[in-house]
Order: sequence, then structure tokens, then C-alpha cells
Amino acid sequence: MKSNSLALGLVVVAVVFFVVGVLYYLGVLQIAVSDTHAAHHTTHAILFSVLAIASLVAANFAREKAV
Amino acid sequence: MGLLQGATELFPVSSLGHSVIIPSLLHWSFKQSDPTFVPFLVLLHLGTAGALLVLYRVEWVAIIRGFFTAAVRGRITTEPERLAMLLLTGTIPAGILGVYFETRIKSLFASPYVAAGFLIVNGILLLGFETLRRRAERRAALHTKTRVEQEQSFAQAERISFRAAAIIGACQALAFLPGISRSGVTIGGGLLAGLRHQEAARFSFLLATPVILAAGAVEVPQLFASGVPVGEYLAAAVLSGVAAYASARFLLRYFRSGRLDPYGLYCIAAGAVSLVLLTLHA
Repeated sequence: MKSNSLALGLVVVAVVFFVVGVLYYLGVLQIAVSDTHAAHHTTHAILFSVLAIASLVAANFAREKAV
Repeated sequence: MGLLQGATELFPVSSLGHSVIIPSLLHWSFKQSDPTFVPFLVLLHLGTAGALLVLYRVEWVAIIRGFFTAAVRGRITTEPERLAMLLLTGTIPAGILGVYFETRIKSLFASPYVAAGFLIVNGILLLGFETLRRRAERRAALHTKTRVEQEQSFAQAERISFRAAAIIGACQALAFLPGISRSGVTIGGGLLAGLRHQEAARFSFLLATPVILAAGAVEVPQLFASGVPVGEYLAAAVLSGVAAYASARFLLRYFRSGRLDPYGLYCIAAGAVSLVLLTLHA
């Protein structure tokens, strides 16, 4: 499925994941964490970084390419 | 514990279940509520992941190279590139479920009785996977062929669909239940997706490596900061790696023609015997 709109949407999703990851790392986000007093939520930050990268990869796959 | 974990991690018999049940049966002084217990187990898992990296070192180089090539190009052209993307697809659901549910589920079910019960469930699952595989073999009229010929009729890991890879990855979450084997459910999932036994085992081992490494990278610093005998723990991790390497070599050879049945029967028997012994010792 090739579509530049889909690719753009995936880039936006990647940015959102990246921001969420940074917020988890800084301890600003405390959603669904095991220790709400921890300064950093590294595991969550790593997860969202991976999701951001995966979304960027998916965006590159989705975009229409010049032949 | 190192040898036990390394040997049972890759066999489809649940390392977590064994590491909960056996210390209880043998009255070893491991406290599962101790804050160093989980990082210690993660260190043993790192030994396992190290063994898998050594075993698949050439393949991992091709996979990592394939990932970057395909990611930049935006198109898959070779088998290592496809395998890299399949592994990424399988790792994401496991990562999400692991980060959000693993600790809660493990603490909810961290009892030797529950682990023994789930070990029996694991055995039934393994036998169920093989029953479904035999049905697929009958449908494809393969029952007159030899086992090796039967296996050759099924696919290689690179050929499964991305949806199947995601489902197999998500199946790993079942292994948060002590007694359910991660390799068992992923090998079983691979069989349902139409893979050869050996290829299902290979995909399971490759899928395990990034998740175990990521978990280790996060947990190990806590272990070093907790004042535990790090030297002894590292020795256990090395033993775990040696046992895992030997196990992986054995299993890849075994699955050329072998099935999951013996492990299923073992899990049912081990779970039942453990339940009886735990009840008698209570």
C-alpha cells in the first residue's frame, strides 16, 4: 500500500512516539509505570524510541517512490 | 541456577516456571520477592542472549545490515532484509506487552503452585500445536512421506507473513505466566504459520535475542548497584550461556525431524509431580 498521506501520518505518529519517550525519560509522564517516584522511566523511553524508529521505517516503506 | 536457566530457556519447557518451582522444591535460599531476584534472572537471560548471538553471529550481521539497507531504501529485496523486518514486527508487540504488563503479571502469579499448574497448561499447548500440525500434514497428504520430507514441505522463517510475525511476537506475552514457555509458544506459533520445526525454532531464538538484550540493558545496572556478589552472579550468567548454546545446538538438530510432543508430555508430568511434591512439603 503506497501513499504519501499514509507516510506523512506515520511521520506524525513517529514524532508523537518520540515526544512520549522523552516525557517518560524525564519522568514527566507517569502513566502505567511500576514506580511512580522514579526520576526516569528508561524502559518506557526505550520502547517509545523503538516505536518512533519503526514508524519512520514504515513511513519510508509507505511513501510513493519515483521509478 | 545458571545451568538450569540456560538449559530450560530455549527448550520449550518454561525457564521461569522451573526457576520458580525447583528452588522451592530443593529449598534453595533464593527469595523471589528479593529486589535482586529479577535482575539476577535477567543477568542469566543475558548469558542466554549472548549464546544466541554467538550461535547466529553471521546471521545477525546480515540481519542488521539488511535492516538498515531496507529501512533507508524503503523496499525489501533480499531474505535477510525481510527477516530483519519480520523480527522488528514480532518484537514490537512483545516489547509493548512486556513494558506494560510483565511486572504485574509475574508478581500476580509468582507462586510455585501456579507455576506448576501453568507448566501442565504449557504441555497441553505443545501437544495442541503438534495436533494441529499433524492435521495440516494430513491435509497436504504428507503422511506417507518420511519426517524429513514432511518438514521440507513447510516454509523457511523468511517466508512467513508480517501478520504471522506480529502474532508470534504477541504470543511471547503468554510466557509472562510462570510455567508457560516463551520458546514453546513461539515455536508453536511458527508451526501454525506453516514453518518447519527447525525454522520455527530458529525464528523463536532470533526473536528472543533483542527483547532479552533490551531487558538486560535496563535491569543489570540495578543489580550492580544492589551490593550482591556480582562475581558469583556473572559466573552463573556464563554457565547459563554455555548451557543455552548447547541447548540451542541440540534443539536445532533435534527439530530437523523431531516434534514438540516429548516436551509437552514432560511439562504435564513435571507440573503434576511438582504439584504433588509441593503439596506434600507444604
